[in-house]
Amino acid sequence: MNRHWKHSLKPYLLILPALFLAGLFAYRPFVITLLNSLYTVSINGQRIAFVGLDNFRRLFVNESFQTSLSNTLRFTLYFVPVNVFICLSAALLSHREGKLATLNQICFFLPMAVGLSSAMMILKMIFNPFIGIVNQLLGISVEWFNNPNAAMALLVIAGVYLDIGIKFLLLHAALRNIPANLVEVATLEGANPLQLFKYLQLPLIAPTLVFVLATNIKDAMLISSPVLILTEGGPFRSTQTLVYQMYLEGFKSGNYAMGSAIATVVFFLTFLLLLALLQIERRRVYYQ
Amino acid sequence: MIILISLTTVLFAAGQREIKPDPVRTVTWWHPNSGLAGQATQAMVQAFNSTVGVEKNIRVEAVYQGKANDVLTKAKAILQSDSRRDLPDLAQLDGAAVLDIRDVDALIPMEDLALSDGYDLDAILEAARLSVTYKDKMIAMPFNSSTILLYYNKTAFDQGGIARAPRTLDELAVTAQALVQKDARGNVIRSGFANVPTTYELIAWLGQQNHLSYITDQENGHAGNPTRVLFHENGTMVNFLTKWKALYDTGALENLTSDRNGAFASGRTAMIVASTSNLTTILSMVGDRFEVGVANFPMVDEHATGGVNVGGGAIWAFDNGSGNRDAAWEFVKFASSGEQQLAWHIATGYFPIHRDTYSLPAFEEHIAKNPLFKVAIDQLMQSNPQLQGIWVPSAYQIYYAFQTGILKMLTENRSPEETSRALEAEINGYFAEYLRMQGQ
Amino acid sequence: MKSLKAILATILSLIIVFPIAYSLSASFFSWADFTAIPARLLPSQPTFENYIRAFRETNLEQFLLNSLITASLGMMLRMTISITAAYTFTFFNFKGRDILFILIVATMLLPSDTLLLANYTTIRALRLTDTYLGIISTSLLAPAHIFMLRQYFKTVSGEYREAAIIEGCSDTRFLTLLLIPISKAVVVTLAIHSFSTIFNDYLWPLLVTNKASMRTIQVGLTMLGFSENFDYGPQFAAITVLMTPVLVAFILMHKPIQESVSTRFTGR
Repeated sequence: MNRHWKHSLKPYLLILPALFLAGLFAYRPFVITLLNSLYTVSINGQRIAFVGLDNFRRLFVNESFQTSLSNTLRFTLYFVPVNVFICLSAALLSHREGKLATLNQICFFLPMAVGLSSAMMILKMIFNPFIGIVNQLLGISVEWFNNPNAAMALLVIAGVYLDIGIKFLLLHAALRNIPANLVEVATLEGANPLQLFKYLQLPLIAPTLVFVLATNIKDAMLISSPVLILTEGGPFRSTQTLVYQMYLEGFKSGNYAMGSAIATVVFFLTFLLLLALLQIERRRVYYQ
Repeated sequence: MIILISLTTVLFAAGQREIKPDPVRTVTWWHPNSGLAGQATQAMVQAFNSTVGVEKNIRVEAVYQGKANDVLTKAKAILQSDSRRDLPDLAQLDGAAVLDIRDVDALIPMEDLALSDGYDLDAILEAARLSVTYKDKMIAMPFNSSTILLYYNKTAFDQGGIARAPRTLDELAVTAQALVQKDARGNVIRSGFANVPTTYELIAWLGQQNHLSYITDQENGHAGNPTRVLFHENGTMVNFLTKWKALYDTGALENLTSDRNGAFASGRTAMIVASTSNLTTILSMVGDRFEVGVANFPMVDEHATGGVNVGGGAIWAFDNGSGNRDAAWEFVKFASSGEQQLAWHIATGYFPIHRDTYSLPAFEEHIAKNPLFKVAIDQLMQSNPQLQGIWVPSAYQIYYAFQTGILKMLTENRSPEETSRALEAEINGYFAEYLRMQGQ
Repeated sequence: MKSLKAILATILSLIIVFPIAYSLSASFFSWADFTAIPARLLPSQPTFENYIRAFRETNLEQFLLNSLITASLGMMLRMTISITAAYTFTFFNFKGRDILFILIVATMLLPSDTLLLANYTTIRALRLTDTYLGIISTSLLAPAHIFMLRQYFKTVSGEYREAAIIEGCSDTRFLTLLLIPISKAVVVTLAIHSFSTIFNDYLWPLLVTNKASMRTIQVGLTMLGFSENFDYGPQFAAITVLMTPVLVAFILMHKPIQESVSTRFTGR
């Protein structure tokens, strides 16, 4: 009898750590965040009074929030296509044989070896408008940190740099997985590279592309560390993103209610965007 | 088996805290001083440890925690989690930190420590002392005190035939215009003046009007929680914005928010306003590119005679249950003493807060050889000591509110009146939010 | 056509690699090299001073040590939890198995960045701030890894396990002596991924550590205080110290790295 109980208890025990962690660091905080967004919360994190959607009402008229929202959406809009384009180009252009191609490939995934902080610090220094090497080399004097458009562009550059390593590897692998005989046949039939791409490669790497798109959208909506290190939301809040504002309000100002409200908004927005992406995928992507 | 390994590693991880076998009393001091100030900090700590420290068996450990705001964030985090023993004995914080620190139980008002040691509070410069006084009690020790200065490219002045630095904003507009340099295609390669006013500059530009004007009620927060701003109703903001807009309309003003020191040092702009604490850094960044001049912070108009306020930071003491109060005070006493303040001043440009420094022969010598350092000191002596910084909640957001509001006025051509009113509404909103979070 | 591709690829790869190459070079610059006109790409007189200063004036070794410890510990714990969970979900039949599996994997939809504040209060309440455990706590659950591992384990026939059990082999032995060696490629890839995720984490360790002695290298790197006044040399030196071992590893192991990335898990 004893052994029976022990035996049937065993699987539960084995997955207990995972369940515990899921509860403690995912579900519970999620519920707390939702709750906090509906209450007034003291500086010590205690819920004081239920206010319903009042926090959200005040949040949406808050100019700083509107700026964060706009910035984050715009960043996502700029970053995702640019990143996909660059990573895909990198994968396609280096999809050849030979030592040079291998060298190219290594260069493309090398940024993965540079940690986030290192990459951001490097960018911060080389893009310094006064003595940074970028302005010097290109002979321009773009105010990377003082011009809102330039700062946003810099954020996109930072985002691409952080992501290109892994995304290149994925797309590169996807390309390689396309059966060589299919490519041969297509070329023999007289397909030019553009047609090859459009009708053969693209559909066959589509699942990977969807994955790339999905993670890019999620990463873009949630971007915070580059903002923290590079621009600190500036100039004039033009690069202040939602998660960054959440950090400012929640962590620096101790306004947990507002921070949680922002977190809730980010979560639902991202969720919706990904859902939309999945809808598109369902209709247009071919799986083997 | 796996469970055992996992458990052991978990326990190992949980137990990893900093363990230091210590026969001496270790005083931890969190600070935001990096670069040259950082080196001066190390020097001061070393001086203490090898003299008073040896005598009294105290060792000070200075920990760089990032920028002033980061030191506050860390301290706040600990205060909120109620784990006092993690608090440092001393923390160097700036004005933006006050509201969060001022009322906590764990804070030991510096005046208490000073008086129990028989320390003469009058030995500290009045303006500096008032800058950390709350409800008539000195709750911290001014340490890295600075005022705001006008830095200008003296070589450019000489080239342009400009004899002296501008005294008022009107004069600034004229001078800036004369200093603008353009290249062959008409692009500005050097602006006359670069700045977007933030809380820091506005405290002086608003406060100095009519010899003293308050920006918020409750004496700028030194007598209690501010409930509303006064800068709109007393007209100081509109007055300032009008002058500022005029300056912008000359085309000589550059709306630069980041790295103004870098812009100035690389010759991209001819004048900036910055803290006296940047003096040594700017001098080293400029090198021998051009001659640097400093002058009094420009007045808004002829009636704006209040001068400037004491800004910068102060050292705050915490009770973390370690019994180090007296040891911590010894260091504070040391750091604020005449001689140490001189060394600190020479290395950084922060001005000495202790009266004794000013009568030291070494001080006279230093000033004689480096007249630039004297300007900030003279400016402060001429200022109204009642002109104090503001102690407000959401300092970060207010900083941005000012910046963005003023920028909008300039680029979207709004009126000073409109801008002032909008700022009043936004900032009052932050105050209301804060009072609400206090349960009021 | 091929050569056009080659040219474009090379240009793009040079651009991508430039910041890395420049950092390496700049770590040997003297102060004057940074402000020289015209701008320098190579040091005029290479100097090791930056490296000396980086180590002498900061706590760099401590930061590195903290990162290595947290990343290794985190990786071990994470892999243990993930493998155990995946194993259990694959080979055991128990009530609520599928629901619980979905529960765990569904946490992928809750991005931890939106939960930062709440998690922070939790860690604070548990008094785990400034501890290694606190730093790795939020990275211990890897729903994606559990999912991938289960997918992989499913390809191993249940009959093997039944046979092993009958022979008297315990679950533990089956797991460690049979299953993991078979799944070596996946396990190693996920282990490396775990290590680097925790190693590269920035925002969470920033929130959770106050003591300088507990800082990880990612946080520490941004707090060295050098880049405030054009003092870029030591900053680049610190970055280079951190980058180089990984760069070298990546270059030498480029083949296995490229091959380990399989698109099996993203849909092909």
